[in-house]
Amino acid sequence: MTAGVASGELVDRVAVVTGAASGLGAAIARRLSAEGARVVVADVDATGAAEVTNEITANGGVAEPAHIDVTDEDQVRALVAKTEARDGLDVVVCSAAVETRAELAQTSDDDWQRVLDVDLKGPFLTMKHTIPALTRRGGGSIVLLGSTLGAIGSPSYAAYCAAKGALVNLAKQAAIEHAPDGVRVNVVSPSATEAGLFLKVVEASGDPEGVKRMVAGNMPMGRLGTADEVCDAIVFLAGDRSTYTSGTVIPLDGGLAARRA
Amino acid sequence: MELGTDLAGRVALVTGAGSGQGRAASVLFAEHGAYIAVVDIDDDGAKETVRMVEAAGGDAIAVHANVSRRDDCDAMVAATVSHFDRLDVLYNNAAVQMSGRLVDCTEAEWDLTIATNLSAIFWACRAAVPHLRADGGGSIINTASVLGLIGSEGYAAYGAAKAGLVALTRQLATEHGPEVRANVIAPGSIDTPRFRKVAEQMPDQQGFLDGLLRHVPLRRLGTAEDIARIALFLASDQSAYTSGAVIPCDGGLAALR
Repeated sequence: MTAGVASGELVDRVAVVTGAASGLGAAIARRLSAEGARVVVADVDATGAAEVTNEITANGGVAEPAHIDVTDEDQVRALVAKTEARDGLDVVVCSAAVETRAELAQTSDDDWQRVLDVDLKGPFLTMKHTIPALTRRGGGSIVLLGSTLGAIGSPSYAAYCAAKGALVNLAKQAAIEHAPDGVRVNVVSPSATEAGLFLKVVEASGDPEGVKRMVAGNMPMGRLGTADEVCDAIVFLAGDRSTYTSGTVIPLDGGLAARRA
Repeated sequence: MELGTDLAGRVALVTGAGSGQGRAASVLFAEHGAYIAVVDIDDDGAKETVRMVEAAGGDAIAVHANVSRRDDCDAMVAATVSHFDRLDVLYNNAAVQMSGRLVDCTEAEWDLTIATNLSAIFWACRAAVPHLRADGGGSIINTASVLGLIGSEGYAAYGAAKAGLVALTRQLATEHGPEVRANVIAPGSIDTPRFRKVAEQMPDQQGFLDGLLRHVPLRRLGTAEDIARIALFLASDQSAYTSGAVIPCDGGLAALR
């Protein structure tokens, strides 16, 4: 079994992926397309969203870019309305996130608010406006990108830990409230992955390879996760092989969760 | 009357101390020798708590703060340190509770809930940690909720904020040991003025209570004193090797779920 191999799991489904212009979000958008979904590549970075869209269409997929700030309710509402009116909506992946690295005492008001807004309020607003659309469709699947840091504490990630910890409860809440509507809500929680925010953090560290080796060495599997592995879990949760699974968290952490109670 | 010396000479700042759990903890902490900064947005309630602390032989000041505002969080810590010259215990107990399904939650409700129940604790801790460290170590106690541990219906912003608080507390514990311990109390349904206000809004109060207690193995509501005893344990050296912990006080509710 190889990670990252598409199997037509999402043929003709319509998916919105936030934070899809780069990193893990871009990998998710490409993979959902490879599975047959029509993908809305949503991001605050319009140029990046256009590039990912072009790449998908060049490979024979169907995609379109959407310029959106997930912390702006009017923009979220408008994107959902436009998407639903054209093709309907089946799958939502909330991957837009920011990360700041600072001890609590050094965390500025602006950084705290920005992390809580993008990483927590963003998924709240996205769910608030996509759930009714998924309900009208007769059901659908929402996948939120959590983090190992939502489940464990880590020095220098005060805001990020708080936001990702909160996100899991928000997912449970939405899952219970909308289970009767056929809307499933789940979380995938990667640890450090060879993509996305973790790479940005290590690049800023001065010794990227050294940091990666150190982090990998702390994992039971002795290596970092890959974007393909995260995408595999998202496709599973987005598609019909997980229809009795809602309100839960799938850790993608190389076995790290086994060290917890 | 001093019941114990667990907190002799310590200074404790308690938010939401003008009623309910915060008031009960203020009185119990004082009975064990602590000086109390009684913080609340309700000045009359705070003054009444100060009176109760003094009646118990303790020493307290009332401090006005709306913890949903950053400046007030800074000011309440500054006022406490200015009056008592030190800070040993920060008990973040103040909260707002608004119910409603996720899809019905307005942006304003979301923002207020996150500010009061999550950002406020960040602000208070950021202001207090240097004092707690400088004064030889201290204890942070954060009031989450069983709704931050389990999923439920109708508490979208509240549950998210409380779960975020649990994660923030774990983060604090990893960052500020060895000087500072940080722990969470997760109350279930506690019979306080706030709870009664919620219950009174229900069309069938008795039915609401019966339904609630069906999920509580101990078959009663908790009391503010139930919570205060756990807070005392976490504030004092009785819990000297406990940090990053979540202690439910829910009559067994979470176990049943």
